[in-house]
Amino acid sequence: MRSWLSIGLLNAVILAILLLSAYRKQDKIRYFQSQTIPLKPDTIQAFVSQFKDDAGNDTLFQVRSKEGYPVSYFRKIKTSVCFDNKCRLLDIVLYWNVTGRYLGYELPEGEFLSKTEHEPFKPAEYARLNDLLADPFSPLANYSYEELVPKADLAASGLDAVSSATSKNVLDYVVEGAVYTTYKMWHFVYGAAQKEVIKLTEKRLSPGFLLQVLESQDSSDKIWALNHIRGQVELTPALRNTVLSFIDNNRFNLAERAINALSPTELKSDSLQKMLFEKYPKANYSLKNLIVTKYKEAPHLHSSVKTALANALKLANGELLTNILDLFKQHRVSDRETGRIIADLLQSDNNFLAQKAFIYLKSANIDDQRVTEQLNAYKTKHHL
Amino acid sequence: MEKIKRRSALTSLGALSFGMAVPTLSKGERLRAPYKLVQQTLKTDILVIGGGTAGVVAAIQAARAGRKTMLVENGSQLGGTTTTGGVNYPGIFFAWGKQVIGGIGWEMVQEAVALNDDTLPDFSIPHGKNHPRHQVRLNGQLYAMLIEEKAVAAGVQIRFYETPTSATFQKGSWTVQTVGKGTSTQIICNQLIDCTGNAYAASLAGFPLLRESVTQPGTLMFRLEGYDFKSLDLKLIKGRYEEAIQKGELVKTDFRNNIVGLLKSAGDNIQHVMGADSTTSETHTVANLKGRSSLLTTLRFLRTLPGCEKIRLADVQNETAVRETYRIDGHYKITHEDYVTGKVFDDAVSYSYYPIDVHDENGVIPDHLKEGVVPTVPLRALVPKNSRNFLVAGRMVSSDRLANSALRVQASCMGMGQAAGAAAVLANLQNKTPLDVSMKDLRKMIEEHGGIVPVSAQKG
Repeated sequence: MRSWLSIGLLNAVILAILLLSAYRKQDKIRYFQSQTIPLKPDTIQAFVSQFKDDAGNDTLFQVRSKEGYPVSYFRKIKTSVCFDNKCRLLDIVLYWNVTGRYLGYELPEGEFLSKTEHEPFKPAEYARLNDLLADPFSPLANYSYEELVPKADLAASGLDAVSSATSKNVLDYVVEGAVYTTYKMWHFVYGAAQKEVIKLTEKRLSPGFLLQVLESQDSSDKIWALNHIRGQVELTPALRNTVLSFIDNNRFNLAERAINALSPTELKSDSLQKMLFEKYPKANYSLKNLIVTKYKEAPHLHSSVKTALANALKLANGELLTNILDLFKQHRVSDRETGRIIADLLQSDNNFLAQKAFIYLKSANIDDQRVTEQLNAYKTKHHL
Repeated sequence: MEKIKRRSALTSLGALSFGMAVPTLSKGERLRAPYKLVQQTLKTDILVIGGGTAGVVAAIQAARAGRKTMLVENGSQLGGTTTTGGVNYPGIFFAWGKQVIGGIGWEMVQEAVALNDDTLPDFSIPHGKNHPRHQVRLNGQLYAMLIEEKAVAAGVQIRFYETPTSATFQKGSWTVQTVGKGTSTQIICNQLIDCTGNAYAASLAGFPLLRESVTQPGTLMFRLEGYDFKSLDLKLIKGRYEEAIQKGELVKTDFRNNIVGLLKSAGDNIQHVMGADSTTSETHTVANLKGRSSLLTTLRFLRTLPGCEKIRLADVQNETAVRETYRIDGHYKITHEDYVTGKVFDDAVSYSYYPIDVHDENGVIPDHLKEGVVPTVPLRALVPKNSRNFLVAGRMVSSDRLANSALRVQASCMGMGQAAGAAAVLANLQNKTPLDVSMKDLRKMIEEHGGIVPVSAQKG
């Protein structure tokens, strides 16, 4: 069972010192990705977890803004990197942003990273390490420690491990001469601490905070925020407007997630239904279908949306037509106006459309003489 | 009539039983006359042969456009490589941040993702080395059921377990003879779409085909479990593997000479069945036997390795999936140069996006497309030379080998399937051959059904 320990007020002074030290840039080697979420640090909160790794401690620090929003996280790592039958200390601080993305690293004052034969990192190598750590899709995720450096025959050497040239496939994903350091750091970044970062952020979700994350220039941050709205925070007017703004033909992922973020409860709102439908005319075929499908979650269908979709039926084909009729069936649409539009499809040259219309009308019980006549004509024509 | 039949059946049974012991019938049992194969003739507007990646899309497109559509599939389910073959990641639908393949294929994929609570990849991440991240992973069996439901809902008449034995064109109609389990059927159609993946119908129709002297290997998809890859002594395992190959216990090419790759991938798209060919029952039988035999031998070997003693087969597909067999010699042959430069043809009907991806005995090193390049498929590449009322869709598209190594992937085949289905519909409605259909009409129909057509899409 995981236990959480919040540091109390008594420790505030210590934390302030930590905060100051974490952000003191002079005399320290620091490499960071650009901070994509516009939040300013104010306080630090410490959380202890059981990471079950060899980072040397289990404390994760959460940096917060004045509003109490998470801004970033850091963890102090003190561990050994072992290779060639020797071990070396790795003393470093790793940083994450609020969605768990790697943010950067910082070395304690006077510390530096070194390669095999104790050769210190050059600035370009620090920068490369920073870039390599920022790649969540790095194949390092799937490499085993043993694969990194092919070893000489163990029996012949009499040693546990003797290094030779780094495996060719690995070179693109590591700092040359610092294979194990890169590997180990990458796994710290994307290991248990990252999961805890996300859990901690999830405990502090609010509409205001998510609005800030949605401002990020990074699409994965935006997707993260969109995935944390439905059922988790109230869809305030400001958040609603921002979410709807993502429904755009040129950004499918964001549009799809934005539509997904709208919950059935919120779809009770007539104004939300109307605002969502404003996106429909310009949406491409895929998004049109997603929008229509979304209305199936609504407890009722607003009359203006229903009328507009009924009119859209006149030009709809294939999946879109099927989806609109399914939506009408779900909401038991049986008014005369809609019935007549659907009944007109019975005369379509396209048998698929006519048949779909027939199936709908057969069970919709639309009380209209014209619709009844068209239905009867269809039945006669097709010997039904 | 019924009485006569029954009487004659009883007479024959009586003759049969003469001199034989009368069988003892349990309660409820009846003696039945032997099943007789009855030749039947069916008519349809459009016949699609092959219910794989491209065929199911072509058939749904044709049926949704209102044409009477029949789909003949020699297996037991739709989806082909995605389902029966187990390659259930049919990417790539997005290129350089934009959707390039949509329509019916995308609809099916998206629905399968939603129904399985899967998530779509972030399509905004760059291609190149992250190309696999663009693959949409599906539950293959769920996908098979969904697309079958869609085909049935569209009105497609599905005929499983059937294969064509001849195809002849006379007076504006194709007559295709098929045989199946207890069936012998003559299907008369106006437009024929070959989606067999092997240009089999095109071959029966007498159109010349293209084939490489050495084709890409096939793959039997499976999944291993019961071991912890990261704790394995890979050095030792590699040594034992090499030893087994030297002794002739294992075949080097079966797993790309890469035991680490096999263990790391846990069986996902790692096996190579050299010379795998799905064109006929005989060749596909050989491919299946080879795939299963090498898997079993390798599985037994793996279980002798330290850390792998409890390794087991979690899942294995029913057949070996095949990458390359025959292609048609079409009115246009898409070249490698066309592909890698993203040539937009005047008669482009769909996009394709994938690296040049030729597998050989050593594996595969994908050659990624340059930034912004999105190749296209012209209608002419879907039409065999000297044909009428005949289209193909899928990996047998007219193309050179390198272009084909990229065109053959599933999303591209779906795009071609929709285009072929729409072209067949218009040709049928207008009493034309597909190449005479107006491109304006064709684009309109594909787009009305959600497909993405290169030129018009670019014009916005």
